Amino acid sequence: MIDLIAALQTLVLGAVLIWSARVKLFSRRAAAAANRSALVRLLGQDRALPAYRLLGGVELTLGGLLLLPPVLRIEAVAATVLAVGFLGYLTYARRAAPASSCGCLSARAAPVSGRSLARAGLLVTAGALAGLATGGWLPALAGRPVAGAAVLLAELAAVVALSPELDSAWLLPLRRLRARLTHPLRGGSGVPLLATVQQLQLSDAYRQVAPLLRSDVREHWDDGEWRFVGHAARYQGRLVTAVFAVPLIDREPDAVRVAVVDDATGHTLLSLAGTPPAAGPRLSVVPA
Amino acid sequence: MHQTLDRRQLLATAALGGVVGATGLGSLAPEAAFAAEAATIEPGAPDPNFAEGRISKISGSMLLVTGSDTVLHSIRITDGTSIWKLHPTSFDKMAVGDGLYARGVRLPDGTLAADSVWVNIVNLHGHIAAVGRNVLHLDHKGQRIVAHVVPDRSAAVYNGTPAVSDLSLLRVGRHVQVLGAWHPNTNEIDIATVYAAA
Repeated sequence: MIDLIAALQTLVLGAVLIWSARVKLFSRRAAAAANRSALVRLLGQDRALPAYRLLGGVELTLGGLLLLPPVLRIEAVAATVLAVGFLGYLTYARRAAPASSCGCLSARAAPVSGRSLARAGLLVTAGALAGLATGGWLPALAGRPVAGAAVLLAELAAVVALSPELDSAWLLPLRRLRARLTHPLRGGSGVPLLATVQQLQLSDAYRQVAPLLRSDVREHWDDGEWRFVGHAARYQGRLVTAVFAVPLIDREPDAVRVAVVDDATGHTLLSLAGTPPAAGPRLSVVPA
Repeated sequence: MHQTLDRRQLLATAALGGVVGATGLGSLAPEAAFAAEAATIEPGAPDPNFAEGRISKISGSMLLVTGSDTVLHSIRITDGTSIWKLHPTSFDKMAVGDGLYARGVRLPDGTLAADSVWVNIVNLHGHIAAVGRNVLHLDHKGQRIVAHVVPDRSAAVYNGTPAVSDLSLLRVGRHVQVLGAWHPNTNEIDIATVYAAA
């Protein structure tokens, strides 16, 4: 069994390297991916993209050599060295530029995480195993197709599972499906305070007294069809409360009323209701 | 409690009690109201009427706050101060270790008399990585944020339409902006408002 697994590692490594090279060499977003990677920090802005492309070329060449006969031990050694290099680079990226993207198997931005490191570790192990192989992957797979396919599937599944940049292809759809089946966010009811405040701020009453307001919402309570919202305010040098009455259910900013009440005496200094005449910026005032 | 009800009754009656109009105390014209706003700030200078930081001590109605630039602020909470901690709340809900933004008036002794205080307020963008029962897991610049939905408090604004309390239109993988209250020293927040496309 170990011979089979060892022989198949060249196929796994070759496939992963060629997939990785595809992103670096042929993706239209390769330049953006290079700029987001820690290569910018390591080599500088100008050299990041050439280095990224060069790495892609190395990966493509080595991937091709691994997949094609003849089986040479030096190929497995080179793949192991490359994987150790990835591991070192990712460790560096995580410490030196934690906001950088991996740029590994997809041009999609994905920060270097523990999973990326585990994937690089898996490739190191695969490289070491490939060094033990005595034959090519094709005869091994032809000899034991079912077991070979199972090993390949398990290993490729592990590589995909350890690749945060591939999550959008399988993990997010699964989570979306789960949410669709279980409705975890159901159950919100009632009118949120923000809806009242939004309506309030669209009202003429608010526009009239807004310059007096000193505080954000201090208190609010519901009574029947109204929600009352109180702000601290200052009017003619007095400390007052501006209390707005806002329709709770209906959205009618024109119906918002306001009273300005003296905190010390409890007297209503001012109250406005409904839409004032639309003539000029001044409020027509009527003595009480 | 009884006092609060009486006061609310008074305020509600005042608000609904018909048009009284200004009682000869002066006009409400904008220029008159803004005339008092004489404070000017030099470009580039810190706004003297704003403070931020974390509460290191609460003594009476005074807060000692250490700013993120290590400047110490004394902030006085008055009867007229609004206090937000996920929702409008009272002074006794503030605790040492809470972060805050405060706006008010700087007194001659350097104390900030607060008009409004927002405790632990955060405003962040992220992608929804997963949803659970009343919880969103957000991917915020590669960091995981656990955002709790608080029933009867959390609201959603979809496509800029009026806020609703139904958060069920949020989708895994989508971008959201969340206003919320941080749980100090954790990666968890309570959601006040989540802005999303739907």
